[in-house]
Amino acid sequence: MLLSTTSASSCHSIRLLAVLSLLGMVVGCGPTRVVVDGNFPPPLIEPLPLTMGLWFDEDFSTHEFFDQSKSKSESSWVVQTGTAQVEMWDTLLAGIFENVTHMKGEPGPKQMNQIVDGVLIPHVEELQYAIPAHTNVKVYEIWMRYRFKLVTTGGETIAEWTMSSYGKTPTAFLQSDKEAVNLAAVMALRDAGANFATSFTKVPAVQEWLQQRGLASGEVTP
Amino acid sequence: MKCISLRTALLCASVTLTSACVTSTVDEMVFNEPLEGIGDSSVVILGRRHASDYDTEPDFIRCVGKHIASRDKTITVIGELEFINELYPWFEPRTAPLRPTDIGRLLQQKPVAEKMLALKTEYMIWIDGSTIRSDSAGSMTCAIGPGGGGCFGFGTWSDDSNYEATIWDFTDRAEVGRVNTSATGQSYMPAVVIPIPIIAPVQGTACDGIGDQLLEFLSSEY
Repeated sequence: MLLSTTSASSCHSIRLLAVLSLLGMVVGCGPTRVVVDGNFPPPLIEPLPLTMGLWFDEDFSTHEFFDQSKSKSESSWVVQTGTAQVEMWDTLLAGIFENVTHMKGEPGPKQMNQIVDGVLIPHVEELQYAIPAHTNVKVYEIWMRYRFKLVTTGGETIAEWTMSSYGKTPTAFLQSDKEAVNLAAVMALRDAGANFATSFTKVPAVQEWLQQRGLASGEVTP
Repeated sequence: MKCISLRTALLCASVTLTSACVTSTVDEMVFNEPLEGIGDSSVVILGRRHASDYDTEPDFIRCVGKHIASRDKTITVIGELEFINELYPWFEPRTAPLRPTDIGRLLQQKPVAEKMLALKTEYMIWIDGSTIRSDSAGSMTCAIGPGGGGCFGFGTWSDDSNYEATIWDFTDRAEVGRVNTSATGQSYMPAVVIPIPIIAPVQGTACDGIGDQLLEFLSSEY
């Protein structure tokens, strides 16, 4: 009786091991997933006396990048930046403008929204990455291109411009590809913040809009 | 007692055996050295990250900072990440000052000037460089079986460190010195069942070299 129990138990263990191995193999074949996570400090800037509305559409707040592997030896990559994008832009813009508010709906002629000076709508147009296996250079890189729209609450465009950002991190002992890509993405987000903070008032259409509101341009330029 | 001596001797022998040799050169050029040290002011050590194919390793910057702070307890070294977070976005790779004269423009930002005053930063040290691995040779085979596992083979590689520290006097907004250090060493890894790494501490030697020279500049005790 004892023998049969042991035999049944070992058979069960073998089955469990086989299932776990199979599961491990299936999981191993999936894409490498990176959920970007980092700390984003508030900017040390004299804020512009404006009440700025923010509208993050779903594409932006759930933004992810998927890269299909080109060969069997490589892995596919999914880089999810959405949550980190929202966290970084929320922190940054709250420091650049005196008042920041999230809009109830997408600005448009029939949309009831809060009263603000303008609404900023960011959009990630493109994201590219490179790891040492691709380039033979011992750095991990992330490059992003944003498209910004500054609109009225009625949805009329005040300004529209593109901005790029870049982040890289060197290879390090005991650092996985995932950790390095995350760090490069955090660097790219910080760079995006730095680029926006120093270039926002230099965009010609924004300069014109600021002058109309009685604000001198170049208040946040170094 | 005899046993303890034998153990100590074995430990010393293994430590000596497992470190390979490193050749290091340090060049120094300083002017306006503070005769009484830096007093109650603080110093910040930052890594340059502008090159496309390498990044000054954050670990190396931490190592130099620790080296200085541990040898002279009167010197306050502000951590790199703490400093760039406090002054975000003004010390990101895109926005960091490249010349001492750029400090003036930076201090035109009222919040930046106030933060700098609060941090009492007297000297800003920029370190540019990296450690690269080259001349890797040899091969190693490892196997594992029901009776155990083991490795057999031999590997060797060379590490080259090259770093330059540029010292800026924050008050005078001028460059007051440059320290250059280069170190090179060959590491070996023979394996007969167990791999025995004989590592050349190249980056550590470069860190000590540059740290000692910076101490001579910053400290009244050296």
